[in-house]
Amino acid sequence: MDSIAGKKSRLTWAVNIAVVLLVILWLIPTIGLFVSSFRDRDQISQSGWWVAPLPVELTFRARVDPRDQREENGRFVIEGNVFDEPANAERFPEGQGEVVNFGIRGAAPAEFPVGAVAELRTGGTLSVARDGAFLVEAPDAFERRGPTIYFEARTPPQFTLRNYWTVLTADGMDRAFVNTLTVTIPATIIPILIAAFAAYALAWMRFPGRALLIAGIVGLLVVPLQLALVPLLRLHTSIGIGQSFMGIWLAHTGFGMPLAIYLLRNYMVGLPRDIIESARVDGATDFQVFTKIVLPLSFPALASFAIFQFLWTWNDLLVAKVFLPSGPDFQVMTVKIADDLIGSRGGDWGILAGAAFVSIGVPLVVFFTLQRYLVRGLLAGSVK
Amino acid sequence: MKFKLCAGVALAALVFNGAIFSDKALAQDLVFAPGEDERLDWASFEAFADEHDFSGERLTIAGPWTGLDARLVESVLAYFAEATGAEVVYSGSDSFEQDIVISTQAGSAPNIAVFPQPGLAADMAAQGFLEPLGDETAEWVRENYSAGESWVELGSFAGPDGDEALYGFFYKVDVKSLVWYSPDQFFESGYDIPETMEELKALTEQIVADGGTPWCIGLGAGAATGWPATDWVEDLMLRLHEPEVYDGWVDNSVPFDDPRVIEAIEAYGWFARNDDFVAGGVEAVPTTDFRDSPAGLFSFPPGCYMHKQASFIPTFFPEGTEYGFDVDFFYFPAYEDRDLGNPVMGAGTLFAITEDSDAARGLMEFLKTPIAHEVWMAQQGFLTPYLEVNPEAYGDDALRAMGEILLDATTFRFDASDLMPGEIGAGAFWTGMVDYTTGDDAEDVARMIQDRWDAMR
Amino acid sequence: MTPMLQGLLTIIVGVSACVGYFYAANLFLDKVLFPGHGPHAGRNINRANRIRPWIFLFPALFVLGLYLVYPVVGSFYRSLFDRSGAEFIGLGNYVALFNASDFRISVFNNLLWIVVVPASATFIGLIAAQLTDRLTWGNIAKSMIFMPMAISFVGASLIWKFVYANNPDIGLINALRFVFGAERSVDVIQIPFWNNFFLMMILIWIKTGFAMVILSAALRGIPEETIEAAIIDGANPWQVFFRIKVPQIMGTIVVVWTTITILVLKVFDIVYTMTGGNFGTEILPSYMMSYMFRDDGRATAVAFVIMILVLPVMIWNIVQARREVQ
Repeated sequence: MDSIAGKKSRLTWAVNIAVVLLVILWLIPTIGLFVSSFRDRDQISQSGWWVAPLPVELTFRARVDPRDQREENGRFVIEGNVFDEPANAERFPEGQGEVVNFGIRGAAPAEFPVGAVAELRTGGTLSVARDGAFLVEAPDAFERRGPTIYFEARTPPQFTLRNYWTVLTADGMDRAFVNTLTVTIPATIIPILIAAFAAYALAWMRFPGRALLIAGIVGLLVVPLQLALVPLLRLHTSIGIGQSFMGIWLAHTGFGMPLAIYLLRNYMVGLPRDIIESARVDGATDFQVFTKIVLPLSFPALASFAIFQFLWTWNDLLVAKVFLPSGPDFQVMTVKIADDLIGSRGGDWGILAGAAFVSIGVPLVVFFTLQRYLVRGLLAGSVK
Repeated sequence: MKFKLCAGVALAALVFNGAIFSDKALAQDLVFAPGEDERLDWASFEAFADEHDFSGERLTIAGPWTGLDARLVESVLAYFAEATGAEVVYSGSDSFEQDIVISTQAGSAPNIAVFPQPGLAADMAAQGFLEPLGDETAEWVRENYSAGESWVELGSFAGPDGDEALYGFFYKVDVKSLVWYSPDQFFESGYDIPETMEELKALTEQIVADGGTPWCIGLGAGAATGWPATDWVEDLMLRLHEPEVYDGWVDNSVPFDDPRVIEAIEAYGWFARNDDFVAGGVEAVPTTDFRDSPAGLFSFPPGCYMHKQASFIPTFFPEGTEYGFDVDFFYFPAYEDRDLGNPVMGAGTLFAITEDSDAARGLMEFLKTPIAHEVWMAQQGFLTPYLEVNPEAYGDDALRAMGEILLDATTFRFDASDLMPGEIGAGAFWTGMVDYTTGDDAEDVARMIQDRWDAMR
Repeated sequence: MTPMLQGLLTIIVGVSACVGYFYAANLFLDKVLFPGHGPHAGRNINRANRIRPWIFLFPALFVLGLYLVYPVVGSFYRSLFDRSGAEFIGLGNYVALFNASDFRISVFNNLLWIVVVPASATFIGLIAAQLTDRLTWGNIAKSMIFMPMAISFVGASLIWKFVYANNPDIGLINALRFVFGAERSVDVIQIPFWNNFFLMMILIWIKTGFAMVILSAALRGIPEETIEAAIIDGANPWQVFFRIKVPQIMGTIVVVWTTITILVLKVFDIVYTMTGGNFGTEILPSYMMSYMFRDDGRATAVAFVIMILVLPVMIWNIVQARREVQ
């Protein structure tokens, strides 16, 4: 008995560990993006997000202004502090920090430890203290430019909301967000309604050709979207819709229709037969049976298709690129990120990360709130 | 009840938001208050404002500029809006080339399209999607642009009926044959500016011998990935062979898999396909975004010492970069032993009318005023062949120096890939260069591009 | 009018138009065309009931016909013409495609995607479903694994750039390689052939949660008695899982597999944002984009090849559906 119990607990442990590993593996990429969305451009390229909470040593440059020089005992002396350099003001707002190493050539910016004395190429010496104070001494006066000091300073971890701010304000993401909503909501609701009636007919009404129709719709399930783009855009243009919200609503309605009918029909077929039969015996018409009984009972299936369609339209890039004009009035978030942000902000990973999270936020909320319906609705459709 | 109230508030908020958005375009600030900056030709602005009024009209413009460039062009368009009362909406896209084709076919073209490539504009003119600008404009360009005749030629295409007419108005020109470097690093390491291609190659090897990485090359550009490499090949083509070969290459009378073209591709390979020569190794070349690639010039220790890129690139330098101190450029030199002079390659963007309207015609007129050029000049990254502008207006010395390179040129040629048909110059040539950079044989790549060209006939 | 208002209006107009159509059509059928009273009441009711299904089906069939059937036929027709659409060239576009090496690479890659992604996602999903089922925190774990479903392909590509990036200070893979003593970073997106699998990983990451949720529900549907009987017979957990449980839910596994396969053929975003089709990772949907609206003959031909690739799945689905109906 003991051995079985021991084996069982060991197995449970193994399962627990395996699941923990799996979850970590699945979460790591998202966490990486999430952490990065709170860091600024320099930090992201200088150190990995996994060391974000630790201080990092970054190299900076300070130019010594020759106008500060004064003559002392026949030598020219410049004193100052490397943290006063205006170019680094953003990183050291209080004008202080901790220097670790310094150098006199860009190729070797951390050649000397603090406190050491470096020989300048042009003659003279340079020393930098831990608090950033430097001293330049040279036999000749500095002409147009003073020496350049490179230094490595320890910078504390910094997290900022600026990426989100930039994304949400300056770059017109707000508009794209509203556009995305404008596309998604009608494109989710309209197909549900149309499909529900058709699904009911296919599930509970008897008529010749029903089996053939069902087979046809299942077949259409796999028609690749790409096939439809060219002819449909031409069709839209010729009937005057062109590239517009109307066009993309219709397109999403059409593309989502087979899945909607398929899911809803499978669910409706599984509803208890006696409820529907007895309603019919009581004299209810099909229209009444549908609206009063079948539709409310099918809520999980309706919700699960709604989630699917919502996620699909929200995240869609291809259909939006073809059926919507390219201007800011119509740009949805995926297009905005792919065509505008990734391009103009090629290296600004922080902004890109922020943009990605803004676009992910709503679907995640929708998904987590409606999750249980998704499973119930889908199950009826696929477990049969 | 509570739910209804919430819904009502949400609805109101959405409507309210919508109202704010629609006002945004009008609220553009003018970067220079009219009349204030003396370098700018305010008289031309006022004269234009007096003659044109498009109040209540809406002008849509689509172009390839995003990010800072988009803000710069918007700063110019704001003056047009101010002068005429029109509402101007500019939208930039990284996949402009695709978007404009789709939207014209769908009948929802913007009023004006800004083409980065004459080749694509020629395709569209032939299909009847562009409106001719008229002889008057052609005459104006001929007279007011330096080398005006060639700009007219570059902007003239065969229309749907086969008749040649001016469709594209060049605005914003770029010099491509530039190598950017950090004067600090050159000075500290004791390197001199190379005067010939031989010296440039020697310097490249010298930097490697000193333990550094000479070049930063990045080909990444989203859907347009690969184009920076085409600039390399074109510049080298001009330095290896007579300009006539280059012209033949553009119209395919010299086929793409001609040994002379392959020679130019391989000359580019000498720089880009050597792990020691490029920052991050050859592997980093095709995936590094071209906008990121100059970053190596500004890091310590330097990620690289040189970066070949056109005159627009300072837009993507880190904030606060100072020309002359942090960065400078030199002319991408010619081979000493080829004796082909100093060829210079350039490019330009052209404005074309895709959906005619009074305001669209008005904008074309606006582009003929000095102020339309000077506003951008006075900021950054803008060169113009317009003779009437005040050179003092250039925002920095870099632009002036570029002007000198143009003057010293013995040969000037327009970017070849921009002149080739869209499927080649904005397609097969790009992907071919990525394939070559990642290790494909130059001959195979060239043959594949030629095959695609053949397939178009 | 702001687009949002327009959207709201569309919802209201669209929904009421739909409801109105169904209601009015029914009313018309029952009261005007074939009234269920009077001399021919019985015959009329029968007739009305024969027509009613088509009233219910009409909007759906209309949309399906316009948005799916017409494009299939129209595209095939278009693919028989040259680039300008003026000249009939028969199968010329298809011949040209199959002679192009980059097209053959795309087909090969696409087949890889069709095989690898559904198989891996279903398999990992099945394992995850079984493991999480008995855990107290199983539902939380499931939510975490399911989460990528909600992320757009563009967003997902961004996320994975932080894993794959060449720079060891950005890309996790290269950082790990450096920890284990690698000398230089590799760009996994450029490793010939294998880079396809790194791109597929992104879709597997997205779709595993979907497979897991469905399969886990199916696993719960297995009657307890069969499992208990097997345990009493001395079967170990492995045997219970692979010999008893898996065969029982085979139907569900196949449906999940099919659903993911269909999706794979529609995905173009991942390749578009990660590599732009370079480095030998082109797949048919992204290959098609390079021709679309430039050479529509060629583009529609590519689309049709995609259609042919899914044909087996489609036929299999139809057979399944017919069996079910009967």
